[in-house]
Amino acid sequence: MKLLKTIRLSKENTLGFVLLGMFLLMALFVPNFLSAGNIKNMMFQLPEFGILSLAMMVVIITSGIDLSLTYRAALSGVIIAMALSAGAAIPVAIMFGLLAAVLCGLLNGFFIAIVGVSPILITLGSMILFESISLGLTKGNSVSGFPPEYRVIGNGAVGAVPISLLIFLLVAVITAMLLNRTKWGRGVYMAGSNPVATLFSGINTKRVLLLVYLYGALLTCVAAVIMTSRYNSARVDLGSSYLLQSVAAAVLGGTNIQGGYGKVIGTVYAVGIFQLISSGLNLLGTPRTFVSVLMGVILILVLMMNYYYDKLADKKETAGAAA
Amino acid sequence: MKTKGMAFVVSLLLVLLLAACSTDSASEGGSSDGENVNETGELTIAVVPKLVGIPYFNASEAGAIKAGEELGVNVIYTGPTEADASQQVSVIEDLISRGVDVIAVAPNDSDSLTPVLERAREEGILVMDWDTPADPNVVDLSVNQIDDFEFGEAMIDKLVASMGTEAGEIALLTGGLSAANLNTWLDAVEEVVADKYPDLTIIQERIATNERQQEAYQITLDLLRANPELKGILAVSTPAPLGAAQAVQERDLQDSVSVVGSALPTDSGPFLEDGSLDAAILWNPEHLGYLTVYLAKELAAGNMPQNGDVIAGEIGPISVDGKKVIMGPPTNFVADNYQDYDF
Repeated sequence: MKLLKTIRLSKENTLGFVLLGMFLLMALFVPNFLSAGNIKNMMFQLPEFGILSLAMMVVIITSGIDLSLTYRAALSGVIIAMALSAGAAIPVAIMFGLLAAVLCGLLNGFFIAIVGVSPILITLGSMILFESISLGLTKGNSVSGFPPEYRVIGNGAVGAVPISLLIFLLVAVITAMLLNRTKWGRGVYMAGSNPVATLFSGINTKRVLLLVYLYGALLTCVAAVIMTSRYNSARVDLGSSYLLQSVAAAVLGGTNIQGGYGKVIGTVYAVGIFQLISSGLNLLGTPRTFVSVLMGVILILVLMMNYYYDKLADKKETAGAAA
Repeated sequence: MKTKGMAFVVSLLLVLLLAACSTDSASEGGSSDGENVNETGELTIAVVPKLVGIPYFNASEAGAIKAGEELGVNVIYTGPTEADASQQVSVIEDLISRGVDVIAVAPNDSDSLTPVLERAREEGILVMDWDTPADPNVVDLSVNQIDDFEFGEAMIDKLVASMGTEAGEIALLTGGLSAANLNTWLDAVEEVVADKYPDLTIIQERIATNERQQEAYQITLDLLRANPELKGILAVSTPAPLGAAQAVQERDLQDSVSVVGSALPTDSGPFLEDGSLDAAILWNPEHLGYLTVYLAKELAAGNMPQNGDVIAGEIGPISVDGKKVIMGPPTNFVADNYQDYDF
């Protein structure tokens, strides 16, 4: 068990080295990569995607998936935007957005944790539901006209560090602490690897799962605030392209798609790698379609490696047990 | 342990190899995607579509690249792979880092681009919009393919002409309820119906087809079944008219139901031939791409376009109103002429 643990830790560390290596290579070979403008771009582009990926990761650890993730963020963003343009104070507007996100999370959580429907079905349905609600509220138009103070959240910086990046780091630390240091966090991993055994060992899996979806909802609201503030508007498809990318980032970060394993730091590294590839290749003038192809290739490679790696680890474990 | 590390090294090498290949092809490929733009002395114009890889924006890319070659400017045509506002913002941020001279963008959501376009202007980059207007306060020039009202009017006039009557039921199909330009055209259509054709009844609200031909086809089949009196369908977004025409074709209703919409001529061909699609009305996207690059070059040289200019002998005459340029009247693609176009 101990052997397994050290190897598994190195899964994330290796990814960290890949990230570092890519950064150094790009700094050497990509023109303008180290320019202030590009570094700033990357720091501003990363947080919203990072937070959504963490939200997805927590759900995947419980062997679920959340297809309603980005549409929930969009709905929450639309509510915030509408409250703001109706003249509500910023904290009040954000509370409305949070309320919307939590209600959405409760809906998903109720059907998945309490009723026991499979997550992919429920979130597929709620994805369409949330999208339709946003569409009904906005009639498809974008909602904008925020007070300038609101735009600071997504566009402001403390010194050279964007506020949104600080929020992302804070979210990452909190998520890591919740998963590693709390009873709930252990429950999340256990429910993901074997829900039945977890239930029989006296853990209220329903409560654990419900809280997972509520926590995911909280994170999407944070992402929604950053996105609406950064883009100065909210609309029904806000950030919709992050949906499958967030699954990709979680999996690239080492999260087991069948549940039971996943680390915050891995996902953070993975988000960083995606950001480097996207920014670096854009600076090189690579066509965007090729960037997507490359991300797909990397994902498949990593999945294959993880598969063989886990198989190898299993073998070692059995060999160790036999000896 | 070791195998794992090796595998990562191998994959890293693969990634680098791929990246290296792409740099090579980019530098050989010339104008479509230049290498570091700061190293070349010539003007670099970035044209950003709503998304890359659909026929409409491929056609405008061809026009933009052609203009780049003919006018001796470096053209970068790049955009998001999905029509998502946040991806488009990232693309523009990266273009600012690359230090281009002009950015012309077709916004997915004009409001969300305002902050990044403001930043581009602060960096001394000229900002234009094309295809769909951005916030007028942040652009130096706005290239419109068409007058929106005129376009809506042209479509409904053509539909009424094809129906042969000014009374009866019609349906409006749209690509998506959140697409600003489609909404503007349908606003115009509804206005013209109210003023000019009071005896036309629009059944249901605008019906969304999610920019998919298959959905437009299904929805039209349902519409035809539920409304036997339906005389005309007006469909906006390029896939919607094709789906509607496909349904009409399948039900053999070419003579009793007219379909008019905004579609590309080559796609429309098979439906125009047997009359299931009566007319496709659109502008020439290649010309639009060409015009955008041409005007960007002029703008960088400090020249504003003039009313009535004709570009490259075939585009225009354009009409100019302040910062707003309109390419010209729409083109009707019908059974007789669709073969003349290659987009």
